[in-house]
Amino acid sequence: MGVTKPEQDAGARLTRRALIAGAGGAALAAPVLAQELGQMIDLGLPGGPSLRPLTPAFPGKGEMIVQRIRPPLLETPMEAFSEGTITPNDRMFVRWNWDMPSAVKAADHRVAVGGAVKAPLSLTLDDIANAGEHVEVTAINQCAGNGRGLSEPRVTGTQWGNGAMGCAKWTGVRLKDVLAKAGVAAGATRVRFAGLDVPLTDGAPQFIKSIPLDIAMRDDVLVAWGMNGEPLPLLHGYPLRIVVPGWFSTYWVKMLSTIEVLTGEDDSYYVAKSYRMPAAPITPDDKDFPTVSITTMPPRAFITSHADGAALARGKPLALEGIAMGGDAALARVDLVGQGLELPCELGPDEGRYAFRRWSVTLPAVMQDLAGIGVRAANANGIVQPETLVWNPSGYARNVIERITLRAQ
Amino acid sequence: MRGLIIIAAALALAGCESEPKVTFTDAAITLPDDPLELPEGPGREAVLENCTACHSPSTMLQQPKVSAEKWQSIAEKMIKVYKAPVDPKAIPQIVQYMVAVQAAGAEQQGAAPAP
Repeated sequence: MGVTKPEQDAGARLTRRALIAGAGGAALAAPVLAQELGQMIDLGLPGGPSLRPLTPAFPGKGEMIVQRIRPPLLETPMEAFSEGTITPNDRMFVRWNWDMPSAVKAADHRVAVGGAVKAPLSLTLDDIANAGEHVEVTAINQCAGNGRGLSEPRVTGTQWGNGAMGCAKWTGVRLKDVLAKAGVAAGATRVRFAGLDVPLTDGAPQFIKSIPLDIAMRDDVLVAWGMNGEPLPLLHGYPLRIVVPGWFSTYWVKMLSTIEVLTGEDDSYYVAKSYRMPAAPITPDDKDFPTVSITTMPPRAFITSHADGAALARGKPLALEGIAMGGDAALARVDLVGQGLELPCELGPDEGRYAFRRWSVTLPAVMQDLAGIGVRAANANGIVQPETLVWNPSGYARNVIERITLRAQ
Repeated sequence: MRGLIIIAAALALAGCESEPKVTFTDAAITLPDDPLELPEGPGREAVLENCTACHSPSTMLQQPKVSAEKWQSIAEKMIKVYKAPVDPKAIPQIVQYMVAVQAAGAEQQGAAPAP
C-alpha cells in the first residue's frame, strides 16, 4: 500500500536465531537504562518496583516517565497537569502495542476503506482532508490501563501511574464523511481500524479495533491530523488517528491505514479477547467470569496542587486545586471528601464535555494533618467515582477516588 | 521534517472548497536505544533468548511481584496468543529467573510499607 516500511518490518521479523544474536550483542553494548536516561521518579506503586526513568530523550517529548522504550510507553508526570486543561504535545502520554514505522512518507500514505461498503477506496491524505468539514474537538485521550500500577492486589501489564491520560484539541474530518465517500452498505454493524504498527512475530494478532456503527457516525468522531494546532507527532500516530471522544484511547487507532466496515461481531483478538472487563464485579480469586469490552470512560478527578505527603501550613487556609473529567458525559460536580468532609468544589471554565475541567476549593484554617483526602467527580449521567477500587484482573478503567495525605507544619 | 501548514483561504470563491488547505509532509524520528541489561542469575540466558526480542528487560523488571504460576501462564500465553518463538522447554528456567529476580528486587526495596 505504498507506505514507508519501517526497518523493523518484514525484513526484521524475528526468528529465534535473530533474537539470540540481537539480544547478546545489544546486552554487551548497552548501558543501564537509568544511567543512560538520567533521573528517576517514584510512582508510588504499592509494593514496588516503583522507580522509573524520567527523561526528555524521546523525539518531540519533554520530561516523560519511561515505562518501555520500544515500542514506546511514556507516561506524563502528574506535575504536567498542575496548570490549565490542555496537555501540550510534548507531554502527552505515548502508548504503542506493537512497533510502528519510524518514518512515514506523506505522498505515499493511503487509507483503504473497505469491507461492507458500496465502493472500496484507497484515499490519499489530501482525499481525507477534503472529505468534509474540518472539525476541532477538545477531548481527553486516556489509556484503558491508566492507573493499573496502583491496583491492589497488583496485576501484570504496563505499570502506569495515573499519567496515561491527557487532553488535546484534535482537528480532522468526521469519520462519517470519510465513510460516505465509499458508501456504507446495508447490514453494517461496526467499523474497524488498523494502523501501520505490526506485530513482531508472524501469526501474532494485529492491533485492530472496532466501534459500533452508531458511534462511528457521531458528529464528533474524527479522522484527525491535528493535535493542539500542530501536525500529529509521529509518536502520536502521524499522519492520521481516530478520535472517539469519551471512549478509552485503545479505539483511537494511530497511523490509520485501514477502515473496514463489518457486518457482524468483531472476533479479532483485541476486541473479542483483550481489553475486556468482568461484566460484574469479581474478587481476585474468581475465575471464568463473563466479560465485556471496555468502551466509555467513567468520571475521574485529581488533586494537582499538592502531591501525596506534601506539607500544609498549620493555622492557615488551604487552597486545593486540580483537574476532573466526566468521562463519556459532561462533568457535573466535584466534591472534596475524606476527614468527614464533603465540600463542593468550584469548577473552572467548561471547555466541552470531553475535556478536562479545573476545580478548586479553599479550606478555612487547617490545624492538623489531612489524611486520606480526595476529590470525587460525578458526571451528568449520575455516575459517581466509587470509594473503593472496582478491582479487575487487567487493571482497566480505574476510577476509584484518588486520595492523598497532607502534613501540617 | 514533518510539518503541516494550515493556510486560511484568503478568498472564499463560490463553488470552491472552503475548508483550510492542509499540507502533509514526511515525518521521521529516531528512538533512543533500548538497553538489554538483566541481572545475573540462573535462567538469564533463557530469558535473553526467548523474551528480550519483544520485551525490554526494564519492562520485565518493572512488573509487580507475582507467583511462579502466573509467570508460567504468561510465558504460555506468549506462545499461544502472540505466536512468540519461545522454546517451551525453556519456560521452567524463565519462570525460575523471574521469580528469583523479583524476590531479590523485593529485598532491595526493603520492607516498604503498603500505603
